[in-house]
Amino acid sequence: MQNKMIGYVMILAVLLFGGLSTAQAAKAPNPEAAKVERMIADADKARKRAASVEGEWRDVGKMLKKAKAALAKGDYKTAKKLAAKAKSQSEMGYIQAVAQKDLKMPSYLKY
Amino acid sequence: MKHLLKKIAMLAVAGGIAASAQASPEADREAFQNFYKNRFASVPMEEYPNGVYSIDPVGRENWEAIEEFPPYETFIDDGQEMWEKPFANGKTYKDCFADGPAIAGIYPLWDKKNGMVMTLPLALNKCREANGEKPLKYKKGAINAITSYIAFASRGQKTNVIIPKDDPRALEAYEKGKKFYYTRRGQLNFSCANCHLQNAGMKIRSEVLGPALGHTTHFPIYRSKWGGMGTLHRRVTGCNKQVRAKPFKAQGEQYRNLEYFLTYMSNGLELNGPGARK
Repeated sequence: MQNKMIGYVMILAVLLFGGLSTAQAAKAPNPEAAKVERMIADADKARKRAASVEGEWRDVGKMLKKAKAALAKGDYKTAKKLAAKAKSQSEMGYIQAVAQKDLKMPSYLKY
Repeated sequence: MKHLLKKIAMLAVAGGIAASAQASPEADREAFQNFYKNRFASVPMEEYPNGVYSIDPVGRENWEAIEEFPPYETFIDDGQEMWEKPFANGKTYKDCFADGPAIAGIYPLWDKKNGMVMTLPLALNKCREANGEKPLKYKKGAINAITSYIAFASRGQKTNVIIPKDDPRALEAYEKGKKFYYTRRGQLNFSCANCHLQNAGMKIRSEVLGPALGHTTHFPIYRSKWGGMGTLHRRVTGCNKQVRAKPFKAQGEQYRNLEYFLTYMSNGLELNGPGARK
């Protein structure tokens, strides 16, 4: 009887710890995925900054959407490339808009 | 002495820029219209409502052939039906627009009460909503039928945008529209003016760039590329996309202010909508 009890306890312990370690493995942070996630978040922040001065470019939103989809599939290379491009375009859009903060009329218009 | 002259010259240039950037709407309009008078000296002012066909003789032949059986005709009929059909509450558009349907000439106008530019499509939707109807979409669909009917009934009216002097917000909205027009945007770094003012008459691939003067007189348009009708804001959205800028919302503040400025530039030109374009 005592042997039977010990057996049950051992089986339970194996199941419990085994289950826990599997869950921990699933939750273990993937450093590459975390890096890409940060890149996408940074690019989105840059996009919002450009939009705040009406300087967002056409394809940035699509790039970020595709980057997120690539990240979800585990295609980190594509996701990184897209996030970097989205960030770069957002920064250029911001600079473009800020550089024209003050209206300058073209010289070909004669007043 | 040389330095002093340089400084004076720089100040004069800077002063010139500042003066034209803050010029009155009338001075803007005069400079705008004079630009085309000089660029296309043989084109009479009353031709500009015909858009690119005022300066492109080959395109004009095709357009005149299309106009023999106008592709927008059915939309005018549909619009008339919409105009006459009572809303669910029994009222009609006429209850909102007593002078209708020939009301295109008064838009866009400054709505002092709401402190904003009011366009015809927006006013139509305000009317619908006030009468318990769903608003129409602003780029495609039924909005083009009702505005086609109104534009057709308004043919011959003169563009006459007014910027009231008793409300500084109206001038501010105009200035914002002007700023939008001359601001380069998108990955291609083009402003509206780069194509339709500076390079009007030049070719972009196989197309001739149309002059901005008269751009607002003929909307809505049946565009062969679309295979259907579209509003002015639909067309502006397309322009912004073409230069790879993220477009703004149709009937949002940016495009309404732009419409206010751009229509003012065409003051004095006849309305001839709806139109047909490539």
